[in-house]
Amino acid sequence: MRKIWAIIRREVVERVRTRTFILSTLLFPLLMGVLVVLPGFLISRSLGTKAIALVDATSDDLGQQIETAMQAARIGKGPDAIPKYSVQRFRAEGRADQVRDSLVPFTGLSRKSAGGWSGILVVSDSTIPTGRAAYYGVNVASFDDMRELEQTMRPIVIAKRLQGIGVDLATVMKSVQGIDLSTTKVSSGRLTGESGASTFVLAYAMGFILYFALLIFGSQVMTSIIEEKTSRIVEVLASSLTPFQMMLGKVTGVGIVALIQLGIWAGIAAYLGSHQGQIMQAFGVEDGGGRLFSLPAMPIDLMVVFFLFFSLGFLLYAAAYAAVGAMCSTVQDAQQMQMPVMLFVLAGFLSNFALMRDPNSSLAQVLTFVPMLTPFVVPLRYSISPLAPLELLASVGVTVLGMLLIVWVASRIYRVGILSYGKKATLRDMVRWIRTA
Amino acid sequence: MQNSSVVKVERVTKRFAGHTAVDELTMEVPAGGIFGLLGPNGAGKSTTIRMIMNIITPDEGRIAVLGKESASRELSERIGFLPEERGLYKKMKVLDMLTFLGETKGIRRSLARTKAGGWLERLGLADWKSKKVEDLSKGMQQKVQFIGALLHDPELLIMDEPFAGLDPVNSQVMKDVVVEAARQGRTVLFSTHIMEQAERMCDHIVIISRGRTVVDGPLGEVKRQFGGRHVALTFTRNKDRAARVLADPGLIGKVDDYGASAEVELAPTGDADRLLRALIQEDVGLARFEIVEPSLQSIFIAKVGPEAAVAPAHEVVHA
Repeated sequence: MRKIWAIIRREVVERVRTRTFILSTLLFPLLMGVLVVLPGFLISRSLGTKAIALVDATSDDLGQQIETAMQAARIGKGPDAIPKYSVQRFRAEGRADQVRDSLVPFTGLSRKSAGGWSGILVVSDSTIPTGRAAYYGVNVASFDDMRELEQTMRPIVIAKRLQGIGVDLATVMKSVQGIDLSTTKVSSGRLTGESGASTFVLAYAMGFILYFALLIFGSQVMTSIIEEKTSRIVEVLASSLTPFQMMLGKVTGVGIVALIQLGIWAGIAAYLGSHQGQIMQAFGVEDGGGRLFSLPAMPIDLMVVFFLFFSLGFLLYAAAYAAVGAMCSTVQDAQQMQMPVMLFVLAGFLSNFALMRDPNSSLAQVLTFVPMLTPFVVPLRYSISPLAPLELLASVGVTVLGMLLIVWVASRIYRVGILSYGKKATLRDMVRWIRTA
Repeated sequence: MQNSSVVKVERVTKRFAGHTAVDELTMEVPAGGIFGLLGPNGAGKSTTIRMIMNIITPDEGRIAVLGKESASRELSERIGFLPEERGLYKKMKVLDMLTFLGETKGIRRSLARTKAGGWLERLGLADWKSKKVEDLSKGMQQKVQFIGALLHDPELLIMDEPFAGLDPVNSQVMKDVVVEAARQGRTVLFSTHIMEQAERMCDHIVIISRGRTVVDGPLGEVKRQFGGRHVALTFTRNKDRAARVLADPGLIGKVDDYGASAEVELAPTGDADRLLRALIQEDVGLARFEIVEPSLQSIFIAKVGPEAAVAPAHEVVHA
């Protein structure tokens, strides 16, 4: 036991000390922080007010109303929100094309020069019956810009039409009021206070964390075994520890490092999430379209299920990666050999998207008993609608058995593999190694 | 199994994909003293040592270490091991590395640290203990590896080619360490293909070739068996005439010719007096004529010479 502990301690201490670990631990939250602040920052700052020339070829006040609506549009909320558009209206009844052509040379130029329009919007009398208007500008490819412009114009055109047939706008607005379903999750016969959306976010986040941890830390297990083979340190270790102890120590050690790093990240994410408003303000960003991301509260039972399956899944996949590492002598070889393992990780992650739609489908029920996939499937299903205790227990049992089987097979491959150098092992070698006494 | 032998190898066979590396090998390492496992490249020395260390398992036969079969890992606290393929964690600090190695042998962390510090001091590496292994020169890394095998004060020290790749100064330092370990009553088993080294250090030798024992016994006894029929010669002139004398098959069995000097083994029909007379007659300016114990080198070549030439190039482990 002391020997295994020595291996675990070395793995953890030497890994946590590396520059890579410290940098990635700090840089990732920085990236998260940027992701929180940046969208709001971009919306309020870099877009800025757009100068639009409005060519008004209408015979009534449609052009004027559109001008008013555009001037009223704001970016963000609050008293110091800046206007979305600066509009200059050109009356052009009957000669819309000439006016437009005279404006085109000034479009797309720097805003400081004369004119300097971002675009030219042409409305005419036919806009009301046909719903057509024309826009000529530099930003026509921007889906968002065009949509916003359409949204600004739409209510005015609709109101005009209704007015034309003598219907009161207010009445219509009242009668077309849609339905807004407010969702609250019920769990074990109690209201949880979580919305459907946050349950979704949680389910997605769990799958992603597992996916990420398996790929990153799994390949760390793999490459470090190859390094040990290359530096021949394995031989010294193999003389005092059994290969199984070596593998167990390594996998556990890397697992602890993974938990430390994920723990730090989770803590920072929770802090960022709950102090989002202040952080945005500190950067001088208005809290634009509400919270950009919110961390749903994770119920204790789900946390237990997730942690259990995370650990089982980690052991299972890390052992598989260890076997791959033992079979190869170079990292390049390993990159190819790890494909089958990666495919399972990917399959597990992708299955989440299918299962989110219907977490109780027969597919979901089958996957609950596939050991390589349960770490992804079960926490997801549990987060959406808890499994029957018996089903959960059976799934844990199957996963533990599968994990033990894979660890056993992996340790047998590892045992022979770590002492064989040179060419990478073939499938035949692998089978022979497993069968060697 | 109770007797004074520390390592007992009984009719052990190990086959690899292409060939038989060790073939019904039997040997016993007596307690105390230095035991040399000698043989040409590819003779099966490393394979034998790996099997003794239980890193690989024999296909047939039995191995007992310190009286227990296939338990060298449980006994790791009592065994020091220096593998042929040296390896350290390059990014670790020297003292941490040694502490870790001590811990994997089964001794307490604090004890391992103290012992490692003491050894670093003794081998002149005290200033380097907080440096990373990769910052050390190759010779220093070898010393660190050596300490790794010794720091838990094992009663049995097993070393595979311990002096390979060492410069003469370091080689001397390591030799002193090994000899002192033996003087303290520990048993040292080491493999080598450098005969001069073995000749000066070993109390007991086994020479293996192509996986089989060809010579086994205390060094003195082995030499006596081969002795009496060897003559060391040095000439000062007429080397061609001397060569003619040495070419007489009725007189000379084998010649180990170094040009101006030679070591010869007399033929069964020849004797030393006749050889001396013949050489004086040919006026070769004899500077040395000595009936000697054969050198281990000549015993080695006599025993494995013809076979060594066709031995497999190098041992490769793949089960």
